[in-house]
Amino acid sequence: MEARPALSIQRSGTKQLSNMGMSGSLSSSLPILPGPLEESYPKLPDSQHVSMERELVTRPLTHASRLPSASGVVGHMFSSSPGFSTDLHYSSLSPVERHSRNSPFISHASTNGACLPLTHTTHSGSLPSTASHHYAKENSASWHTDSLPSFLDFPVNTAIENSQVESSSCNAVLGSEEFNKWADQLISDDDPLASDWNELLGDTNVTDLEPKMAYQVSKPSPNFQANQSQVHLQLPAPSGEIRAIATPSSSSNSGPAKPRMRWTPELHEAFVEAVNQLGGSERATPKGVLKLMKVEGLTIYHVKSHLQKYRTARYRPESSEGSSEKKLTQIEEMSSFDLKTSSEITEALRMQMEVQKRLHEQLEIQRNLQLRIEEQGRCLQMMFEKQCKSGIDRLNATASTLENPPAPSSDAVPDSPAKSELEASQVDPYKTGSDPVNANTGLEESSQELGGKQKAPEGKAPQSFGPDACESSSQSLKRPRTDE
Amino acid sequence: MKFGKRLKQQMLETLPGWRDKFLSYKELKKLVRLISSAPTLSNGSFEFGKAEEEFVYLLNNEIEKFNAFFMEQEEDFVIRHKELQQRVQRVVDTWGPNGSQPSETDYKAEMAKIRKDIVDFHGEMVLLVNYSNVNYTGLAKILKKYDKRTGGLLRLPFIQKVLQQPFFTTDLISKLVKECESTIDAVFPVQDGEQTREEREAITVAEEGIFRNTVAALQTMEELRRGGSSTYGHFSLPPLNVPDSDLIQSFQVNSPIPILY
Repeated sequence: MEARPALSIQRSGTKQLSNMGMSGSLSSSLPILPGPLEESYPKLPDSQHVSMERELVTRPLTHASRLPSASGVVGHMFSSSPGFSTDLHYSSLSPVERHSRNSPFISHASTNGACLPLTHTTHSGSLPSTASHHYAKENSASWHTDSLPSFLDFPVNTAIENSQVESSSCNAVLGSEEFNKWADQLISDDDPLASDWNELLGDTNVTDLEPKMAYQVSKPSPNFQANQSQVHLQLPAPSGEIRAIATPSSSSNSGPAKPRMRWTPELHEAFVEAVNQLGGSERATPKGVLKLMKVEGLTIYHVKSHLQKYRTARYRPESSEGSSEKKLTQIEEMSSFDLKTSSEITEALRMQMEVQKRLHEQLEIQRNLQLRIEEQGRCLQMMFEKQCKSGIDRLNATASTLENPPAPSSDAVPDSPAKSELEASQVDPYKTGSDPVNANTGLEESSQELGGKQKAPEGKAPQSFGPDACESSSQSLKRPRTDE
Repeated sequence: MKFGKRLKQQMLETLPGWRDKFLSYKELKKLVRLISSAPTLSNGSFEFGKAEEEFVYLLNNEIEKFNAFFMEQEEDFVIRHKELQQRVQRVVDTWGPNGSQPSETDYKAEMAKIRKDIVDFHGEMVLLVNYSNVNYTGLAKILKKYDKRTGGLLRLPFIQKVLQQPFFTTDLISKLVKECESTIDAVFPVQDGEQTREEREAITVAEEGIFRNTVAALQTMEELRRGGSSTYGHFSLPPLNVPDSDLIQSFQVNSPIPILY
């Protein structure tokens, strides 16, 4: 059989995973827990969401105990989780969100110690998709460095300070007692490995960060313990909220150490005000600004990097606006090129603006279209599922008479009506002929799959679907249906 | 491959810091081909599941890359936007007619600089929106290809998630762009008299980076929307309707004519 590089890497990666996971599970069975939980954060920390998370959490736990034979299990789990499942709710979670929330968790893990981050990252890397760290194939060391940078950019140590700063404010954010329980579980298992993690971090952090920051890394765990429950609690909501751009005042929230903060103009205003109060961008310190701003979920790291950007942005224009001498020379230059040039320049700029505006317009239009297209696709999908469910029930009664051969062709029908409906509402007139064919082959293959795959039941959604779909080109394809 | 080529071209013409932030379209396509050509892979097999995982893993990495870059840029833009507004205000207050030290020459000089900066700023923001869109489109295409070649069902749920990613939610940037446009209108002198198209062409293409990139982006969009893609189907975009496409065509930015300053 031909060597499939991708897959072979995968296998070695999986072994890696198993090793990591095993080491993680050896130390504690719980480390796995945070990962998926972390990943199952919905956008908003509703309690109903929380209960969904708990469901998902239990899955990985059972798998964790079987890690040695994990590759298969893990594979299955992974493929079923990232949105392939019929669980729409879960599938609404972005793998990236999970991915990105890993870091907040990782940094939290620093506060909790544990090789939590290790297994966690493993999971984060794998849960979304694959066990293999395709990019970090060589060895675990490189894997660490690969995954570390992703959150080293957002040094974990800031989480430490942050957790202390925010512990009080964050409690308010969550307040779900389920989180409390979960947090407690985590805390109880973290201690033994605290030093491991800090060491790891300490090494890398020292090189990358200022001494001040590095110092914070080596803070002993006792500090963390006091705040752990709060810190944990803090986790889900902020990282959830950071994604919820809609919320105005709390839009500034971010996961404790996942400094991917989304700065809005309002947040920036608050920042500027705080800076001005402290005497200007040169005088203001990140800590001071952070305190003044009083924004939940904002870490000192966020403020620090933002302040840096702010200073850079101010420095350049100010230096060019500069002193009167500079000004004079510029004016002289200007006047030596007569007005014609300057109006030419203005014209050129106008042209540039034209093009830019045009591009922006088109981009907006395109984006809206893309959104609509997917929205339609989603609606259709939901329709399918609804129909499928009712269809399945009906067919169960006549199950004995159902054979395989008719299945593929009947499978085709639900899909093509959907597609033709899309057609009807879209401009493109083409591929009417070829799509059903594609749908056929696609469905044939997919109908052989079980579990997780949404289309499998589709084939059983016969007559009920037909009338609903748009009548246009689906008529001819309904033919195979009749024998059912 | 059309898209791939266009993407490459855009990447070449893009601002230097952005070059490695785009979708690794070619690599992902290769992977899809690899996965689909493996004969023993049938859906439902364990190996297929793993291959899919790997694919999704890579996609997620790409998305993370986009998000990080996008949000970084967004932050910068938020800051710069405010700074520009303040700068305009300062100039008006200092050298403007009602300012503390009214001086027409100063005012004009500063305004000229501001105009240039604002237009460039506007351009950069639009390019970020374009960046977001190009990458989204690439992702959508890759997913389509994947589904088509492997019979998988990855596309629909996955794309739903992508739609919610920070890098795709460009509302804030668009808002900044619009605000920028109104500032520009305020800052630019009223357009006096007509200028022939020729004249404009001669002085155009001033800014290498941003302008070229913008034009390249528009051209890409046009091509993309003209159709002919291998995955054109129900989830494809309708043809582009650019009112002044000849305007764009006239900007053949192969050899920029720099304005001598």
